[in-house]
Amino acid sequence: MTSLDRLAMYTEMVRIRQYETRILQEYHGDKTPAWDIGAGLIPGEMHLSAGQEPAAVGVCAHLKKGDAITAPHRPHHFALAHGVDMNAMTAEIYGRTTGLCKGKGGHMHLFDPENHFSCSGIIAQGYPVACGQALAMKRKGTDNVTVAVAGEGAANQGAFHESLNLAAVWNLPVIFVIEDNDWAISVPREASTANTSNADRAAGYGIPGVRVEDNDVEAVFEAAGAAVDRARSGEGPSLIEVHTLRLLGHFEGDAQAYRPDLETVDERDPIPRYAASLMEAGELTEAQADDIKAAADAEVDAAIQFAVDSPIPTPEDALQHVFA
Amino acid sequence: MEASVTVGVVANPASARDIRRIVAKGGAVTTHDKLNRLQCVLAGLGAMGVERVISMSDRSGIAAGLQRLSTRASSESWPMIDFVDQTITGTKTDTTVATETMVKAGVGAIVVLGGDGTNRVVAGSSQDVPLVCLSTGTNNAFPRFTDPTVAGMAAGLVASNLDCRTAGTYRAKMLTVEHAGRVENAVVDVAVTSGDRVGSGAVWEMDSVLELFLCFAEPGAIGLSAVGAAVQPTTRRLPTGLNIRLGGTGDESDPSKPGSGERSPEQSSHEERVKAPIGPGLVADVTIKSVERLEPDAPVEVRSPAGVIAVDGERFFRFDSGDRPVVTLSGAGPVVTDVPAVIHFAATNGLFNSPSTAAHVANPAHDAEPKSETKPETRKR
Ligand SMILES: Cc1ncc(C[n+]2csc(CCOP(=O)(O)OP(=O)(O)O)c2C)c(N)n1
Repeated sequence: MTSLDRLAMYTEMVRIRQYETRILQEYHGDKTPAWDIGAGLIPGEMHLSAGQEPAAVGVCAHLKKGDAITAPHRPHHFALAHGVDMNAMTAEIYGRTTGLCKGKGGHMHLFDPENHFSCSGIIAQGYPVACGQALAMKRKGTDNVTVAVAGEGAANQGAFHESLNLAAVWNLPVIFVIEDNDWAISVPREASTANTSNADRAAGYGIPGVRVEDNDVEAVFEAAGAAVDRARSGEGPSLIEVHTLRLLGHFEGDAQAYRPDLETVDERDPIPRYAASLMEAGELTEAQADDIKAAADAEVDAAIQFAVDSPIPTPEDALQHVFA
Repeated sequence: MEASVTVGVVANPASARDIRRIVAKGGAVTTHDKLNRLQCVLAGLGAMGVERVISMSDRSGIAAGLQRLSTRASSESWPMIDFVDQTITGTKTDTTVATETMVKAGVGAIVVLGGDGTNRVVAGSSQDVPLVCLSTGTNNAFPRFTDPTVAGMAAGLVASNLDCRTAGTYRAKMLTVEHAGRVENAVVDVAVTSGDRVGSGAVWEMDSVLELFLCFAEPGAIGLSAVGAAVQPTTRRLPTGLNIRLGGTGDESDPSKPGSGERSPEQSSHEERVKAPIGPGLVADVTIKSVERLEPDAPVEVRSPAGVIAVDGERFFRFDSGDRPVVTLSGAGPVVTDVPAVIHFAATNGLFNSPSTAAHVANPAHDAEPKSETKPETRKR
């Protein structure tokens, strides 16, 4: 890992954070009544990934053209880190015809065939799909890999276990990523999961499983690098569980009354922590940090403007591009 | 009030889950395995008359599992289990807080389930309390592979019987590395690596290791200390340790590169290459530049120009060119238990003859009331 890698990872984390901070404002800006999630320019539910950037950035730093990601209902950080176009993604979130799915999907259904990026509101749904994509890569003889992302709650779905089993049996180039943010909506991990470490569950399928404990992008980078190398060289699947942090509610509008750790959430924010460590090491200055933030804000402004300026689908569009 | 025999238990829920599962063949010691071993320990403790156990708390399934299991009929012979009432951070602070609480509460022994890293953290606060170390980590040079039931019995004996304690425990060596006001202790090794960041913590690329300081280097161990064992085996009971300079594979002619250092021609002419098992499934060819005995209480400067200091196989902090961290070996490590020696002593002194022998021997170490401020919460009975 070079100083450039670290700066690039910091920049990407800031880019994602500035994006979501803005989406958060825009989302709530025109919701009247506040509880009507269908109201306003961004219709529907909103699951933000703020605090979980290290998982996405540390993993995606190792991906190249042709590699695939299947993400869950909280997809923005992985989408941006994997190179999904910010304009098209934002337009989709705003339900516009220029969006990735022509405005039919919304924030949980971002499909980008060019970058092999998909996500889904059905939890753990991306795991079997990732196995399929990895099988295709393997059969085509490429050294591409697929990353399957899910939350620790989703790891209690049958699809998680079936996928680990299949990937192990067929020795598929998949990296299973579990983002353990301690909560599945309002359910703490230990209340739903007999084996609280998914790194251990991987062992049950003969797959190496690693748990990265402290939401540290460099630790994720190293673990993911090893797992991606392993997959590319035909050694098979690995699982990486990142103990991460949900800075915000499960969805926008979640009052989080169930959460005893709310008070300390802000001080555990991984981005200021990383900035401080880079500054201490002399690899980032205050001025650079300001520039990085300003550049991100400018890109985000442009994406929001693109979305807002894009056409809203007509009633006739509802019948276009649908199967049945 | 009669003093009860109490033993502490620290089981690191996070041990054996690091990157070495991918980059090496690090085995999986699952939470369920750890719970299984703990049940064996508890049976051993109970059989030796230990009445109370204080366990670390965690949110990763160990404390919850113990709590659940202790309500079952099969736990009848176990001591009563209390859990340390602590704020769980999911970091090594939990281990430190738990150990401190146990020491204050006057435990007669602490059973540690974890690898070198876990033992290092416990040793930082265990003071004079004997540790009984069970290996559940990835690189295990400090804890030995010991049957957990037997380990539980040994812990019970050491906690309740002064003669057992005298016969079967000793003070281990320790390394202290000091730099810019920072002090870290190691129970096995201090490594100087050429990287510039801490990353995932684990050390597995031998090319990056420039210098090693070893408390001991026992044949049969895996990890960085195996390099020492391959050139100059040094037991854990000897007062001295080892200081080894390694070759790396960098461009030797570039003095700005870490690893090239200043070295005299006669030293390089002594270079040898050895094979050492530095991790599970990883046998590395290592170039040895020099091997020196490390004398106790004699501070030694790190010779590499810059790099990252790793403690017990885990990278910790960076130092810059011009800086010179100092490493000192001492005999001031934790008190540890030689399990077979305890069992041998107990057998030859008739301590296994009656089922409740141990319970009738006064607790030698702590006859006072527990002084704990953080009152452990009673969850059983
Ligand atoms: C199959 C399925 N069941 C239930 C839900 C409802 N649901 C949405 S998110 C969620 C919790 C997901 O928790 P986790 O996987 O930990 O991800 P996180 O939200 O914490 O990122 C549930 C149960 C769903 N979307 N899909």
